[in-house]
Amino acid sequence: MKFDELFRLIHFCETIEKEGTDPFDLDVKKFLETLKRYHKKWKSLDDLLLDAEALAELAKVIELQGKWIKDRSSSFYIDPALLELKLKMLEPHQLATAFVRSWNPVISVDRITLQRLKEGLNYWNALLPLNKRKEEFPLPSALDTTFDLGDLIELNILSKEEFADALQAVLKELEERGRIDYHDFIYGDAFEASIIKAYLTSYLVSEGKAELDINPLEDEVFISPSSTNVTAKALHPLSKSIAISLSYEDWLQWREKRKHGQEPNER
Amino acid sequence: MEREEEARTRTERKVKRAAQLLFFWRHRIPGVKGWELKKAVGDDYLEVLGVLDSVLDRFGMEVKRISEEGEERGEEEEKTERDRFMIVLKDPVIEKASGERIDDVAMLAATLAYIISKQGKAPRKAVEDFLSEKFPKQRVFFALDRYIRQGYVGEDETVLYIGWRTRAEVDRKSLVDLILSS
Repeated sequence: MKFDELFRLIHFCETIEKEGTDPFDLDVKKFLETLKRYHKKWKSLDDLLLDAEALAELAKVIELQGKWIKDRSSSFYIDPALLELKLKMLEPHQLATAFVRSWNPVISVDRITLQRLKEGLNYWNALLPLNKRKEEFPLPSALDTTFDLGDLIELNILSKEEFADALQAVLKELEERGRIDYHDFIYGDAFEASIIKAYLTSYLVSEGKAELDINPLEDEVFISPSSTNVTAKALHPLSKSIAISLSYEDWLQWREKRKHGQEPNER
Repeated sequence: MEREEEARTRTERKVKRAAQLLFFWRHRIPGVKGWELKKAVGDDYLEVLGVLDSVLDRFGMEVKRISEEGEERGEEEEKTERDRFMIVLKDPVIEKASGERIDDVAMLAATLAYIISKQGKAPRKAVEDFLSEKFPKQRVFFALDRYIRQGYVGEDETVLYIGWRTRAEVDRKSLVDLILSS
Protein backbone atom coordinates (compact mmCIF):
# COMPACT_ATOMS: atom_id res chain seq x y z
CA MET A 1 0.00 0.00 0.00
CA LYS A 2 2.83 2.37 0.88
CA PHE A 3 4.27 1.97 -2.63
CA ASP A 4 1.05 3.04 -4.29
CA GLU A 5 1.16 6.48 -2.75
CA LEU A 6 4.80 7.01 -3.70
CA PHE A 7 4.33 5.68 -7.23
CA ARG A 8 1.44 8.09 -7.61
CA LEU A 9 3.57 11.01 -6.46
CA ILE A 10 6.46 10.02 -8.74
CA HIS A 11 4.07 9.68 -11.66
CA PHE A 12 2.58 13.09 -10.89
CA CYS A 13 6.06 14.65 -10.93
CA GLU A 14 6.84 12.97 -14.25
CA THR A 15 3.61 14.31 -15.76
CA ILE A 16 4.53 17.84 -14.70
CA GLU A 17 8.01 17.48 -16.25
CA LYS A 18 6.73 15.91 -19.43
CA GLU A 19 3.62 17.91 -20.17
CA GLY A 20 4.73 21.23 -18.79
CA THR A 21 1.76 21.63 -16.48
CA ASP A 22 1.94 24.05 -13.55
CA PRO A 23 4.71 22.74 -11.23
CA PHE A 24 3.00 24.43 -8.29
CA ASP A 25 0.22 21.85 -8.57
CA LEU A 26 2.53 19.70 -6.47
CA ASP A 27 2.42 20.40 -2.75
CA VAL A 28 6.12 20.10 -1.87
CA LYS A 29 5.55 20.28 1.88
CA LYS A 30 3.01 17.48 1.78
CA PHE A 31 5.30 15.44 -0.48
CA LEU A 32 8.16 15.74 2.04
CA GLU A 33 5.85 14.88 4.92
CA THR A 34 4.78 11.73 3.08
CA LEU A 35 8.40 10.73 2.54
CA LYS A 36 9.15 11.44 6.19
CA ARG A 37 6.21 9.34 7.30
CA TYR A 38 7.50 6.33 5.41
CA HIS A 39 11.16 6.93 6.16
CA LYS A 40 11.35 4.69 9.23
CA LYS A 41 9.42 1.90 7.56
CA TRP A 42 11.92 1.35 4.78
CA LYS A 43 13.63 -2.03 5.09
CA SER A 44 14.96 -3.29 1.80
CA LEU A 45 17.25 -1.78 -0.80
CA ASP A 46 14.30 -1.45 -3.18
CA ASP A 47 12.48 0.65 -0.57
CA LEU A 48 15.45 2.99 -0.34
CA LEU A 49 15.78 3.19 -4.11
CA LEU A 50 12.13 4.16 -4.40
CA ASP A 51 12.64 6.77 -1.71
CA ALA A 52 15.63 8.16 -3.63
CA GLU A 53 13.69 8.20 -6.89
CA ALA A 54 10.85 10.11 -5.26
CA LEU A 55 13.31 12.66 -3.87
CA ALA A 56 15.00 13.03 -7.25
CA GLU A 57 11.66 13.65 -8.97
CA LEU A 58 10.71 16.17 -6.29
CA ALA A 59 14.01 18.00 -6.86
CA LYS A 60 13.24 18.23 -10.60
CA VAL A 61 9.82 19.73 -9.89
CA ILE A 62 11.32 22.25 -7.47
CA GLU A 63 13.77 23.22 -10.22
CA LEU A 64 10.80 23.70 -12.56
CA GLN A 65 9.07 25.83 -9.94
CA GLY A 66 12.18 28.06 -9.85
CA LYS A 67 12.17 28.30 -13.64
CA TRP A 68 8.44 29.05 -13.60
CA ILE A 69 8.92 31.98 -11.18
CA LYS A 70 11.88 33.27 -13.22
CA ASP A 71 9.86 33.04 -16.38
CA ARG A 72 6.82 34.77 -14.94
CA SER A 73 8.91 37.62 -13.60
CA SER A 74 10.59 38.20 -16.96
CA SER A 75 9.21 40.57 -19.57
CA PHE A 76 8.73 37.59 -21.84
CA TYR A 77 5.90 36.20 -19.73
CA ILE A 78 2.48 36.23 -21.31
CA ASP A 79 -0.70 35.13 -19.64
CA PRO A 80 -1.58 31.90 -21.53
CA ALA A 81 -5.31 32.48 -21.11
CA LEU A 82 -5.08 35.98 -22.58
CA LEU A 83 -3.00 34.79 -25.53
CA GLU A 84 -5.33 31.85 -26.13
CA LEU A 85 -8.31 34.19 -26.20
CA LYS A 86 -6.52 36.53 -28.60
CA LEU A 87 -5.58 33.63 -30.88
CA LYS A 88 -9.20 32.51 -31.01
CA MET A 89 -10.36 36.00 -31.94
CA LEU A 90 -7.88 36.66 -34.75
CA GLU A 91 -8.56 35.91 -38.39
CA PRO A 92 -6.12 33.61 -40.24
CA HIS A 93 -4.69 36.49 -42.29
CA GLN A 94 -3.98 38.50 -39.11
CA LEU A 95 -2.13 35.54 -37.61
CA ALA A 96 -0.22 35.00 -40.84
CA THR A 97 0.78 38.68 -40.95
CA ALA A 98 2.04 38.54 -37.35
CA PHE A 99 4.10 35.49 -38.23
CA VAL A 100 5.63 36.98 -41.37
CA ARG A 101 6.53 40.18 -39.53
CA SER A 102 8.47 38.27 -36.89
CA TRP A 103 10.00 35.83 -39.33
CA ASN A 104 13.63 35.91 -40.45
CA PRO A 105 13.94 32.92 -42.77
CA VAL A 106 17.14 30.90 -42.95
CA ILE A 107 19.01 31.39 -46.19
CA SER A 108 20.65 28.36 -47.67
CA VAL A 109 21.41 26.92 -51.04
CA ASP A 110 20.68 23.30 -51.75
CA ARG A 111 22.23 22.35 -55.07
CA ILE A 112 24.42 19.70 -56.56
CA THR A 113 28.08 20.39 -57.25
CA LEU A 114 30.32 18.91 -59.92
CA GLN A 115 32.37 17.20 -57.23
CA ARG A 116 29.26 15.54 -55.73
CA LEU A 117 28.11 14.45 -59.20
CA LYS A 118 31.49 12.84 -59.75
CA GLU A 119 31.19 11.01 -56.42
CA GLY A 120 27.73 9.81 -57.45
CA LEU A 121 29.04 8.53 -60.75
CA ASN A 122 31.89 6.65 -59.05
CA TYR A 123 29.39 5.10 -56.64
CA TRP A 124 27.16 4.06 -59.56
CA ASN A 125 30.11 2.46 -61.36
CA ALA A 126 31.13 0.51 -58.27
CA LEU A 127 27.58 -0.71 -57.60
CA LEU A 128 26.85 -4.39 -58.34
CA PRO A 129 23.74 -5.23 -60.44
CA LEU A 130 20.49 -5.50 -58.48
CA ASN A 131 20.20 -9.30 -58.83
CA LYS A 132 23.51 -9.62 -56.96
CA ARG A 133 22.36 -7.41 -54.08
CA LYS A 134 19.02 -9.03 -53.30
CA GLU A 135 19.73 -9.28 -49.60
CA GLU A 136 19.89 -5.45 -49.44
CA PHE A 137 16.24 -5.28 -50.47
CA PRO A 138 14.23 -7.81 -48.46
CA LEU A 139 10.57 -8.16 -49.39
CA PRO A 140 8.42 -5.81 -47.36
CA SER A 141 6.87 -7.51 -44.38
CA ALA A 142 3.13 -7.42 -43.92
CA LEU A 143 1.67 -4.60 -41.89
CA ASP A 144 1.67 -5.36 -38.21
CA THR A 145 -1.43 -3.35 -37.49
CA THR A 146 -4.58 -2.27 -39.28
CA PHE A 147 -7.12 0.44 -38.61
CA ASP A 148 -10.18 -0.78 -36.83
CA LEU A 149 -13.45 1.02 -36.20
CA GLY A 150 -12.18 2.41 -32.90
CA ASP A 151 -9.16 4.00 -34.66
CA LEU A 152 -11.40 5.63 -37.29
CA ILE A 153 -13.64 7.07 -34.58
CA GLU A 154 -10.56 8.24 -32.69
CA LEU A 155 -9.26 9.96 -35.84
CA ASN A 156 -12.61 11.68 -36.32
CA ILE A 157 -12.98 10.09 -39.75
CA LEU A 158 -16.18 8.48 -38.59
CA SER A 159 -18.54 8.92 -35.68
CA LYS A 160 -20.34 6.07 -33.92
CA GLU A 161 -23.72 7.43 -35.02
CA GLU A 162 -22.68 7.74 -38.67
CA PHE A 163 -21.36 4.21 -38.62
CA ALA A 164 -24.54 2.82 -37.02
CA ASP A 165 -26.70 4.68 -39.57
CA ALA A 166 -24.65 3.39 -42.51
CA LEU A 167 -24.85 -0.14 -41.11
CA GLN A 168 -28.62 0.16 -40.72
CA ALA A 169 -29.00 1.38 -44.32
CA VAL A 170 -27.08 -1.63 -45.68
CA LEU A 171 -29.15 -3.99 -43.53
CA LYS A 172 -32.38 -2.40 -44.76
CA GLU A 173 -31.27 -2.83 -48.38
CA LEU A 174 -30.37 -6.47 -47.77
CA GLU A 175 -33.75 -7.11 -46.16
CA GLU A 176 -35.46 -5.56 -49.19
CA ARG A 177 -33.43 -7.53 -51.74
CA GLY A 178 -33.50 -10.82 -49.84
CA ARG A 179 -31.13 -13.69 -50.68
CA ILE A 180 -28.77 -12.44 -53.38
CA ASP A 181 -25.36 -13.13 -54.90
CA TYR A 182 -22.78 -11.49 -52.63
CA HIS A 183 -21.02 -9.57 -55.44
CA ASP A 184 -24.32 -8.37 -56.91
CA PHE A 185 -25.20 -7.01 -53.52
CA ILE A 186 -21.83 -5.36 -52.87
CA TYR A 187 -21.00 -3.93 -56.29
CA GLY A 188 -22.65 -0.71 -57.36
CA ASP A 189 -22.07 2.22 -59.70
CA ALA A 190 -18.85 3.32 -57.98
CA PHE A 191 -16.00 1.06 -56.92
CA GLU A 192 -15.19 3.13 -53.81
CA ALA A 193 -18.81 2.86 -52.60
CA SER A 194 -18.67 -0.90 -53.22
CA ILE A 195 -15.64 -1.26 -50.96
CA ILE A 196 -17.35 0.73 -48.21
CA LYS A 197 -20.44 -1.46 -48.58
CA ALA A 198 -18.31 -4.61 -48.34
CA TYR A 199 -16.73 -3.26 -45.18
CA LEU A 200 -20.12 -2.52 -43.62
CA THR A 201 -21.50 -5.88 -44.75
CA SER A 202 -18.66 -7.67 -42.98
CA TYR A 203 -19.94 -6.09 -39.76
CA LEU A 204 -23.48 -7.33 -40.46
CA VAL A 205 -22.15 -10.87 -40.94
CA SER A 206 -19.96 -10.66 -37.82
CA GLU A 207 -22.91 -9.46 -35.78
CA GLY A 208 -25.14 -12.23 -37.11
CA LYS A 209 -27.52 -9.85 -38.88
CA ALA A 210 -26.63 -11.36 -42.27
CA GLU A 211 -25.72 -14.87 -43.32
CA LEU A 212 -23.30 -16.07 -45.96
CA ASP A 213 -24.00 -19.17 -47.95
CA ILE A 214 -20.83 -20.36 -49.66
CA ASN A 215 -20.74 -22.99 -52.39
CA PRO A 216 -17.03 -23.63 -52.99
CA LEU A 217 -17.61 -26.07 -55.86
CA GLU A 218 -19.60 -23.58 -57.93
CA ASP A 219 -17.58 -20.63 -56.64
CA GLU A 220 -20.77 -18.94 -55.47
CA VAL A 221 -21.36 -16.80 -52.42
CA PHE A 222 -24.86 -15.75 -51.44
CA ILE A 223 -25.85 -13.34 -48.73
CA SER A 224 -29.20 -13.09 -47.00
CA PRO A 225 -30.62 -11.31 -43.98
CA SER A 226 -30.44 -13.41 -40.86
CA SER A 227 -33.58 -15.22 -39.85
CA THR A 228 -32.73 -15.05 -36.15
CA ASN A 229 -31.94 -12.16 -33.82
CA VAL A 230 -29.33 -14.11 -31.89
CA THR A 231 -25.90 -12.69 -32.52
CA ALA A 232 -23.34 -14.70 -34.45
CA LYS A 233 -20.98 -14.55 -31.54
CA ALA A 234 -23.56 -16.18 -29.30
CA LEU A 235 -24.28 -18.88 -31.86
CA HIS A 236 -20.67 -19.50 -32.79
CA PRO A 237 -18.38 -18.48 -29.96
CA LEU A 238 -15.44 -19.68 -32.08
CA SER A 239 -15.65 -17.24 -34.98
CA LYS A 240 -13.84 -17.81 -38.23
CA SER A 241 -12.74 -15.45 -40.96
CA ILE A 242 -13.99 -15.73 -44.52
CA ALA A 243 -12.01 -14.09 -47.29
CA ILE A 244 -13.96 -12.93 -50.33
CA SER A 245 -11.93 -11.17 -52.96
CA LEU A 246 -13.00 -7.86 -54.43
CA SER A 247 -10.95 -6.12 -57.06
CA TYR A 248 -11.23 -3.20 -59.40
CA GLU A 249 -10.91 -5.52 -62.44
CA ASP A 250 -13.62 -7.78 -61.08
CA TRP A 251 -15.88 -4.77 -60.50
CA LEU A 252 -15.24 -3.52 -64.09
CA GLN A 253 -16.25 -6.94 -65.45
CA TRP A 254 -19.39 -6.95 -63.31
CA ARG A 255 -20.31 -3.47 -64.54
CA GLU A 256 -19.74 -4.44 -68.21
CA LYS A 257 -21.99 -7.48 -67.84
CA ARG A 258 -24.68 -5.38 -66.21
CA LYS A 259 -24.43 -2.81 -69.00
CA HIS A 260 -24.95 -5.51 -71.63
CA GLY A 261 -27.94 -6.85 -69.84
CA GLN A 262 -26.24 -10.08 -68.81
CA GLU A 263 -26.80 -11.61 -65.43
CA PRO A 264 -23.83 -10.13 -63.55
CA ASN A 265 -23.48 -13.17 -61.33
CA GLU A 266 -22.61 -15.40 -64.29
CA ARG A 267 -18.94 -14.90 -63.70
CA MET B 1 52.88 46.48 -46.00
CA GLU B 2 53.25 43.08 -47.66
CA ARG B 3 52.44 41.30 -44.40
CA GLU B 4 49.32 43.38 -44.05
CA GLU B 5 48.30 42.42 -47.58
CA GLU B 6 48.97 38.76 -46.78
CA ALA B 7 46.83 38.91 -43.63
CA ARG B 8 44.00 40.53 -45.56
CA THR B 9 44.11 37.85 -48.26
CA ARG B 10 44.10 35.14 -45.59
CA THR B 11 41.10 36.69 -43.84
CA GLU B 12 39.24 37.05 -47.12
CA ARG B 13 39.89 33.39 -47.88
CA LYS B 14 38.58 32.40 -44.47
CA VAL B 15 35.47 34.58 -44.80
CA LYS B 16 34.80 33.07 -48.22
CA ARG B 17 35.18 29.54 -46.84
CA ALA B 18 32.90 30.31 -43.87
CA ALA B 19 30.25 31.81 -46.22
CA GLN B 20 30.33 28.70 -48.42
CA LEU B 21 29.91 26.46 -45.40
CA LEU B 22 27.04 28.51 -44.03
CA PHE B 23 25.18 29.05 -47.29
CA PHE B 24 25.35 25.55 -48.71
CA TRP B 25 23.03 22.91 -47.31
CA ARG B 26 25.34 20.14 -46.11
CA HIS B 27 23.21 18.27 -43.59
CA ARG B 28 19.55 17.61 -42.85
CA ILE B 29 19.49 20.98 -41.11
CA PRO B 30 21.03 24.09 -42.74
CA GLY B 31 24.10 25.78 -41.30
CA VAL B 32 27.11 24.24 -39.59
CA LYS B 33 28.26 23.46 -36.08
CA GLY B 34 30.95 25.52 -34.37
CA TRP B 35 33.43 22.63 -34.40
CA GLU B 36 33.01 22.22 -38.17
CA LEU B 37 33.76 25.90 -38.69
CA LYS B 38 36.74 25.64 -36.36
CA LYS B 39 38.06 22.71 -38.37
CA ALA B 40 37.57 24.42 -41.74
CA VAL B 41 38.42 28.02 -40.87
CA GLY B 42 40.64 27.86 -37.79
CA ASP B 43 40.59 28.72 -34.10
CA ASP B 44 39.64 32.31 -34.87
CA TYR B 45 36.38 31.26 -36.54
CA LEU B 46 34.28 33.52 -34.30
CA GLU B 47 36.25 36.56 -35.47
CA VAL B 48 35.89 35.39 -39.08
CA LEU B 49 32.15 35.09 -38.57
CA GLY B 50 32.16 38.65 -37.20
CA VAL B 51 33.72 39.88 -40.47
CA LEU B 52 31.26 37.82 -42.51
CA ASP B 53 28.40 39.24 -40.45
CA SER B 54 29.42 42.82 -41.30
CA VAL B 55 29.62 41.89 -45.01
CA LEU B 56 26.18 40.23 -44.91
CA ASP B 57 24.73 43.22 -43.08
CA ARG B 58 24.96 45.22 -46.32
CA PHE B 59 22.60 42.69 -47.93
CA GLY B 60 20.16 42.56 -45.02
CA MET B 61 21.40 39.23 -43.70
CA GLU B 62 23.15 38.10 -40.55
CA VAL B 63 24.87 35.10 -39.00
CA LYS B 64 22.62 33.55 -36.40
CA ARG B 65 23.87 31.29 -33.66
CA ILE B 66 21.54 28.84 -31.95
CA SER B 67 22.18 26.08 -29.46
CA GLU B 68 20.65 22.64 -29.77
CA GLU B 69 19.25 22.97 -26.27
CA GLY B 70 17.26 26.06 -27.10
CA GLU B 71 19.16 28.95 -25.55
CA GLU B 72 20.19 31.60 -28.01
CA ARG B 73 23.76 31.92 -26.79
CA GLY B 74 26.38 30.21 -24.67
CA GLU B 75 29.72 31.69 -23.91
CA GLU B 76 31.94 28.75 -22.99
CA GLU B 77 34.19 27.60 -25.81
CA GLU B 78 33.04 23.98 -25.61
CA LYS B 79 29.43 25.04 -25.86
CA THR B 80 30.12 27.40 -28.74
CA GLU B 81 31.54 24.50 -30.71
CA ARG B 82 28.30 22.58 -30.23
CA ASP B 83 26.19 25.55 -31.31
CA ARG B 84 24.88 25.78 -34.86
CA PHE B 85 25.53 28.79 -37.05
CA MET B 86 23.33 29.74 -39.96
CA ILE B 87 22.47 32.75 -42.10
CA VAL B 88 19.09 34.41 -41.77
CA LEU B 89 17.40 37.47 -43.24
CA LYS B 90 17.99 40.32 -40.83
CA ASP B 91 14.82 42.32 -41.26
CA PRO B 92 11.46 40.66 -41.03
CA VAL B 93 10.10 39.83 -44.44
CA ILE B 94 6.97 41.78 -45.28
CA GLU B 95 6.50 40.59 -48.83
CA LYS B 96 5.36 37.10 -49.57
CA ALA B 97 8.48 35.00 -49.06
CA SER B 98 7.17 31.49 -49.06
CA GLY B 99 4.78 29.35 -51.05
CA GLU B 100 2.83 28.34 -47.95
CA ARG B 101 -0.94 28.84 -47.95
CA ILE B 102 -2.20 31.57 -45.64
CA ASP B 103 -4.17 28.97 -43.66
CA ASP B 104 -0.98 27.03 -43.00
CA VAL B 105 0.96 30.12 -41.94
CA ALA B 106 -1.92 31.08 -39.64
CA MET B 107 -1.98 27.62 -38.10
CA LEU B 108 1.81 27.74 -37.65
CA ALA B 109 1.57 31.16 -35.97
CA ALA B 110 -1.19 29.93 -33.66
CA THR B 111 0.73 26.73 -32.85
CA LEU B 112 3.92 28.59 -31.99
CA ALA B 113 2.13 31.25 -29.94
CA TYR B 114 0.19 28.56 -28.08
CA ILE B 115 3.35 26.57 -27.28
CA ILE B 116 5.26 29.74 -26.28
CA SER B 117 2.44 30.69 -23.88
CA LYS B 118 2.73 27.25 -22.28
CA GLN B 119 6.42 27.88 -21.55
CA GLY B 120 7.77 26.16 -24.61
CA LYS B 121 5.97 22.83 -24.56
CA ALA B 122 2.42 21.57 -24.74
CA PRO B 123 0.70 18.18 -25.17
CA ARG B 124 0.06 17.49 -28.88
CA LYS B 125 -3.57 16.68 -28.09
CA ALA B 126 -4.07 20.14 -26.53
CA VAL B 127 -2.57 21.84 -29.61
CA GLU B 128 -4.73 19.71 -31.92
CA ASP B 129 -7.87 20.56 -29.97
CA PHE B 130 -6.97 24.24 -30.00
CA LEU B 131 -6.37 24.36 -33.77
CA SER B 132 -9.47 22.25 -34.45
CA GLU B 133 -11.64 25.11 -33.30
CA LYS B 134 -10.90 26.80 -36.62
CA PHE B 135 -9.72 24.06 -38.97
CA PRO B 136 -10.83 20.47 -39.70
CA LYS B 137 -9.03 17.86 -37.60
CA GLN B 138 -7.56 16.08 -40.60
CA ARG B 139 -5.90 19.29 -41.84
CA VAL B 140 -4.62 20.01 -38.35
CA PHE B 141 -2.97 16.55 -38.15
CA PHE B 142 -1.25 17.02 -41.51
CA ALA B 143 -0.20 20.59 -40.73
CA LEU B 144 1.36 19.62 -37.39
CA ASP B 145 3.22 16.72 -38.99
CA ARG B 146 4.55 19.10 -41.64
CA TYR B 147 5.72 21.68 -39.07
CA ILE B 148 7.53 18.86 -37.26
CA ARG B 149 9.18 17.74 -40.52
CA GLN B 150 10.15 21.32 -41.37
CA GLY B 151 11.71 21.79 -37.93
CA TYR B 152 9.39 24.55 -36.70
CA VAL B 153 7.99 22.26 -34.02
CA GLY B 154 9.67 19.38 -32.19
CA GLU B 155 7.87 16.30 -30.91
CA ASP B 156 8.80 14.16 -27.95
CA GLU B 157 6.32 11.32 -27.64
CA THR B 158 3.06 13.19 -27.00
CA VAL B 159 4.54 16.60 -26.27
CA LEU B 160 5.24 19.36 -28.79
CA TYR B 161 7.97 21.94 -28.25
CA ILE B 162 9.59 24.84 -30.12
CA GLY B 163 11.79 23.41 -32.89
CA TRP B 164 15.25 24.46 -34.09
CA ARG B 165 13.85 26.33 -37.08
CA THR B 166 11.59 28.52 -34.98
CA ARG B 167 14.54 29.29 -32.71
CA ALA B 168 16.54 30.31 -35.76
CA GLU B 169 13.90 32.10 -37.80
CA VAL B 170 11.22 33.50 -35.54
CA ASP B 171 11.49 36.40 -33.13
CA ARG B 172 9.19 34.82 -30.59
CA LYS B 173 8.71 37.93 -28.49
CA SER B 174 7.75 39.97 -31.57
CA LEU B 175 5.33 37.27 -32.66
CA VAL B 176 3.53 37.26 -29.34
CA ASP B 177 3.55 41.08 -29.11
CA LEU B 178 2.15 41.37 -32.62
CA ILE B 179 -0.60 38.87 -31.85
CA LEU B 180 -1.53 40.62 -28.62
CA SER B 181 -1.59 44.02 -30.30
CA SER B 182 -3.55 42.89 -33.38
